[in-house]
Amino acid sequence: MDFTWRIGGEAGFGIMTTGLFFSKAITRLGLNILDYVEYPSLIRGGHNSYEVRASDKEVFGFKPVIDVLVCLNEETYLKNKNRLTQDSLVIFDSDEFKLVSKYKEIGIPFTKILAELKGSSVMKNTFALSSSLALLGAKPDVLNNLIREEFQRKGEDVVLYNQKFVSKAYEIIDKSFSKYKLNYLKDSKNAEKLVVTGNDAFTIGSVIADCRTYYAYHMTPSSSVLSNLAYLQRKTGMIVRQPEDEIAAINSAIGSSFAGVRSAIGTSGGGFALMNEAVSLAGITETPLVIFLASRPGPATGMPTWTEQGDLLYAIHSGHGEFPKIVLAPGDAWEMINLTTKAFNLADQYQLPVFIMSDMYLSESHKSIDKKVINDLIKVYKVNRGKIITNTNEKKYLRYKLTNDGISPMLIPGFSKNYFQANSYEHEEDGHTTEDNIMRTSQVVKRNKKLQIYLQNDFNSPKIYGDLKESEIVFVAWGSTKGAVLDAQKILESKNKKTALIHFTHIYPMDEKKIIQLFNGVDNLILVENNSQSQFGKLLRQETGININKKILKFDGRPILADDIIKNL
Amino acid sequence: MTDIKDFTGCSPTWCPGCGDWGILNSLKQSFVKLNLNPSDVIVVFGIGCSGNMNDFLNCNGFHALHGRSIPNAIGAKLANHKMPVIAIQGDGDCYGEGGNHFIHACRGNHDITVIVHDNRLYSLTTGQVSPTSPKKFKSKSTPDGVIESPLNPLSVSLLSGATFVAQTFAGNLSHMTDTIVSGIKHKGFSLINVLQPCVTFNKVNTFKYYLEKSYKLPTNYKSDSFKEAVIKSMEMFEEKYPLGILYQVESLTYTDQLNQLKESTLVSKQRFTDFESILKEFK
Repeated sequence: MDFTWRIGGEAGFGIMTTGLFFSKAITRLGLNILDYVEYPSLIRGGHNSYEVRASDKEVFGFKPVIDVLVCLNEETYLKNKNRLTQDSLVIFDSDEFKLVSKYKEIGIPFTKILAELKGSSVMKNTFALSSSLALLGAKPDVLNNLIREEFQRKGEDVVLYNQKFVSKAYEIIDKSFSKYKLNYLKDSKNAEKLVVTGNDAFTIGSVIADCRTYYAYHMTPSSSVLSNLAYLQRKTGMIVRQPEDEIAAINSAIGSSFAGVRSAIGTSGGGFALMNEAVSLAGITETPLVIFLASRPGPATGMPTWTEQGDLLYAIHSGHGEFPKIVLAPGDAWEMINLTTKAFNLADQYQLPVFIMSDMYLSESHKSIDKKVINDLIKVYKVNRGKIITNTNEKKYLRYKLTNDGISPMLIPGFSKNYFQANSYEHEEDGHTTEDNIMRTSQVVKRNKKLQIYLQNDFNSPKIYGDLKESEIVFVAWGSTKGAVLDAQKILESKNKKTALIHFTHIYPMDEKKIIQLFNGVDNLILVENNSQSQFGKLLRQETGININKKILKFDGRPILADDIIKNL
Repeated sequence: MTDIKDFTGCSPTWCPGCGDWGILNSLKQSFVKLNLNPSDVIVVFGIGCSGNMNDFLNCNGFHALHGRSIPNAIGAKLANHKMPVIAIQGDGDCYGEGGNHFIHACRGNHDITVIVHDNRLYSLTTGQVSPTSPKKFKSKSTPDGVIESPLNPLSVSLLSGATFVAQTFAGNLSHMTDTIVSGIKHKGFSLINVLQPCVTFNKVNTFKYYLEKSYKLPTNYKSDSFKEAVIKSMEMFEEKYPLGILYQVESLTYTDQLNQLKESTLVSKQRFTDFESILKEFK
């Protein structure tokens, strides 16, 4: 079973909440989902839409045909009619407009019914959602439970009021449209699954990793990390602060990290631009920091609510001067949780900035993931603070001691009689400013050394999906395009075309030898990226000399889909 | 008991006669008076002649970026709010490059002490005008004189919500020490604007100039009157410089209002482990 449900309507009327309710309901009924939202950078007016693909198997991407389309206005129908077939179910207000082709029409006079039940126009959503679930064969309980959980704090009246619309919708579907019932959700079972976006996943990961301060000046598409962590801070005890600007955000995080707590910041491209000087500060002061960078199409303000993998090289080259940093790019929500927890350990162990790259598509799309996998991670995860210490037996504590691995003991102030200077200027081992040529060279070498140790101990080679030697085509991708390629691979396999994927999550630095070895003898490479300048392709060439000529690039603000890949082979 | 020598780091590289020498001495003296050890305090330094103090003062020091020491200081305070946190900045550093941070730190009543070495110039870069340079001041960057009016640090901080606003003079060690001690003791955001003559590049705002134009607030001055403080702060425009605590009120600090910090500092807290309660939010 595999179907796509899509709802559209005017912005400001609760499409996002309705979509998430659908995703959660479907997941609770035992299916897997992946969803995707489209919305303009407006509060009211404009068109919002929410698409959910559901399957009894893991969902990696989206398909061209819409199986159930909910039109809260005519625009939704007009925008999506090229994705409908005669088997598609179209839910719409039969008093408002007519459909021009033949589908399975579910014409319901929403406005009239709402007036009868004295419902506000927002209730159209609840009604449409209930109708959808009824048509798919779900019992009303799942939705009624969700409504209870969401609205209980507003009072029993509100719960009952909402549930009234659920009953009415089920009644209408049973009475007038039972012949169109799909019964996909009839034999449902409860599953222990979560429905999380990439931003939710970063949230969960940072809590597991014992992050204690999070600073962000809200910027789409990173903002929900700020609201998530702010909401959860009553429980977690984390300090979550929205300061006056991004410069303050990163510098406060560096201050907190200097004073001994795990710290993170989150932003998107424009905000990150403001933070750059302080990335360099974290570099030379060797202060641990996790940077969550969720991209949207730039340059400048660009397209705030759309997606692009456009800031990879910017992140890698961010900050003036030469200093080490680590860049990771999860491919889906689960990898986001896992790599976020790893990022906090790496930041502490190597005392440097670690980036988690995301983009609007990964940050705002929900995916269902097994709760057990997260619980397993929680069981094995160790907070590893490396050489961060609260006391030292050494006579004279040296913050920037020249060591074999380039990592010096980092003392947390206030726990012993020792003290030290951290310094944004080049410094001696004890932190005092220096311009001496020999010490300068030693400190640069020391800082760079940390990445060699990282490559030996913590770098993960790209993951291979499929058989490299047996495949006609080998895709190369990084971060959020993983799902689309996996989805394309499945479709191609059904057409007897064998393919493989080399997917990178540990982007920078890269282990040249390991990568060259892995690519050795592999032909027919196709690079897939959600940007126009094939930034990862350039990086790969720079770091390894491997040049991929064939590229599938998409940069219209929309995510890459399996269809984009297959059509461009 | 600590001794002033405990806080003495490398030999200063400031010009002979610079006001910064006095500020450093007063700061060390203040730490001794407060019975603090070098390991008990965090001092964040900006960039400029003032920030170079990082090398000359023994303490937990963080030599930051130009203009950014206030956010670093706030971050450190949130992580360990039991430790005194001090920011050492210059006038260009604090009121120019870091002006936004300064205003918002005032309104947040973050419990940090900001000591501004106000020499009304950027001197480490050999004497360009700063936000507090007097109008018409001629410098390398303004050969025909400054067009803008100077920023008034005392008024800006008062109107932005600072709960402790004081001014002192680098030529008066005991007054400086007393003011710094009061500033560090104050619970909440403290600004100490130090009138600091630059003997090399500022031939207008000299020691002599401030000796003539500054005066100590009278003993019967009421520092809890906001209105009075604002009036006093405006005297800068008449070239009159009141010295002392212009304004001090008790108000809850930023960290006082964080439930997270009721039982312990953030850095000393036990790790949060009730992950089940977090995961259920995403069902």
